[in-house]
Amino acid sequence: MTANTTVTVHDPTLRDGQHAVRHQLDAEQIRTYAAAVDAAGVPVVEVGHGNGLGASSLQVGRSRLSDDEMLATAREALTHSRLATLLLPGWATTADLRKAIRHGVDVVRVAAHCTEASVTERHLGAIRELGAEAQGVLLMSHMAPPGELAEQCALMVGYGAQAVCVFDSAGHYLPDDVTARITAITTAVDVPVAFHGHNNLGMAVANSVAAVQAGAHTIDACARGFGAGAGNTQLEVLVAVLERYGHRTGIDLRRLADAADLAERTLMPAPPTIDSTSLVSGLAGVFSGFKKPVLAAAESQGVHPWDIFVELGERRAIAGQEDLIPDAARSLAAQGASR
Amino acid sequence: MPSNTMNAAVLGSGLLGLDLVERMHNSPRLSCGLVVGRTSRSRGLAQAAELGCATAAGGVAALLDSGQTFDIVFDATNAFEHPEHWARLAGTGAVLIDLTPTSAGALIAPTVNGDQAARHQHIGLISCGGQASIPVLYALAQHYRPRYVEMVATAASVSVGRASRLNLDEYVETTQDAIRRFTGTSAAKAMLNISAAAPPPPFRIAMTMVASGLEQGPVSDVVECAAAAMRTVVPGYQVTSCTVTGDTVRVIAEVTATRNRMPVHAGNLEVISAAAIHAAEQHALVKAPALKELAR
Repeated sequence: MTANTTVTVHDPTLRDGQHAVRHQLDAEQIRTYAAAVDAAGVPVVEVGHGNGLGASSLQVGRSRLSDDEMLATAREALTHSRLATLLLPGWATTADLRKAIRHGVDVVRVAAHCTEASVTERHLGAIRELGAEAQGVLLMSHMAPPGELAEQCALMVGYGAQAVCVFDSAGHYLPDDVTARITAITTAVDVPVAFHGHNNLGMAVANSVAAVQAGAHTIDACARGFGAGAGNTQLEVLVAVLERYGHRTGIDLRRLADAADLAERTLMPAPPTIDSTSLVSGLAGVFSGFKKPVLAAAESQGVHPWDIFVELGERRAIAGQEDLIPDAARSLAAQGASR
Repeated sequence: MPSNTMNAAVLGSGLLGLDLVERMHNSPRLSCGLVVGRTSRSRGLAQAAELGCATAAGGVAALLDSGQTFDIVFDATNAFEHPEHWARLAGTGAVLIDLTPTSAGALIAPTVNGDQAARHQHIGLISCGGQASIPVLYALAQHYRPRYVEMVATAASVSVGRASRLNLDEYVETTQDAIRRFTGTSAAKAMLNISAAAPPPPFRIAMTMVASGLEQGPVSDVVECAAAAMRTVVPGYQVTSCTVTGDTVRVIAEVTATRNRMPVHAGNLEVISAAAIHAAEQHALVKAPALKELAR
């Protein structure tokens, strides 16, 4: 894709960032950040529990606020930006979806593991019926080859998706991996394609640029990269880089940089960094959100967190399977692995 | 058809329907009179015919037009169609055993209240996650008063068919509803993951209960006792861990299938199919209590 194309920046700071703070964002944090990015002209702001609607649970962590409270707070603060949220079938139901749309959500993303697009059929259809924009998301997309991802995206478009997104949930991609996948998908479907990067290998911005060059229309990015483990594509850096490439985003970068400073001050104890556990989760192709429970399991079983991530990678664990983590740690301890 | 057996029909010709047919072949009290699919091209119907069953295409209408009288009808279709099946079958006097995730019938789990199955003409089997978790959760709730209960099931992708994928809302809602009813807690949450891992993993259920007074020893005893009872119905049921931390107990169970047609990982299908046959046999025992002796 040549320069001067328009890229839509989708900001899930207030959803994916929740993984870094155990889903504890409060109303004031949501209100001030949403207002700041709204003022900077960020077109889409995604809000919710890190795992989406209905996900507050002991399995993945309880959120401080209910879905209703988070969405109502954000809706009030957003005057121009569209409000988005995420839903995983099997975790949230159509009842949760209806409530979210009553709160004024404009865009709902329905997410499935990268080979399981068929679970999105019902909810994508329901979103269309309810009049919101329906987007389909494939999680852990590195676990499927480009051709299969393209087929799964085509299925979601058949179910009613008005855009399709691939998530690099583990931060495993290099730019060539992204180019191959986005190229395959843009060839297979005629709806906008989005890319959502994680920064475990330090490649999130480079991967996002590769996605745009391969025809992606929308890029996800979070202030300071706020997200699980190594964090996501860093929003303010992404917008600056896209500008240097000559792409339009419609965002006021100076105001966005202020919003990112605000995010660092008010949302996070410290900006994400690529520590060793984040690095190995990217290498092993394991969801970054497993970091905290992996560290806890490593501590309790006296094994090295690096080894737990490698073990989880071998088991092809996916987000939502947090209950596998203590198992993996116990089995390593039983094999005599140590810290 | 042998006398003294209950004549049963199966609505649905997927893997679950075929397993029911095989289980009926092994039961002295149940005989399979008909398997009904949606279309005549269904591969499952051809397999049911190979097993020696009469088959028909065209859904519940074909069942009603078959000229047979059924004592029992298993509904292995989907939650969208089940209400119509009950509406059309209730008047025939057949017992309807619902393997789809609806809350319409009397909710039955064999090791918990299976002995009550014969009292109901309409039986609901909750969900595979419900069948695999409620025996343990119910047993714990007899000793502790849960403030919150959570269940996360993980099924192998290859064992989750299209009907189940379209019924995830009903799966979640019916399972939560059943957990609330069987444990007496008002706060329950159920979730389902679908794992694409290779080789396909066994059906896995992570259960969490929050209650006061939990102690590792007695809790483990209660859980192991419930699991042993489960194994009399589902031989591949194993508790792989049970950990008490403060006010929280976390139990992981895995279910493998141990029968011919079922792949080992399809414990999700096995638990509900076993529950369905168990409920049907309860009815058969009431109708012909001496049959077991006669058959010997």
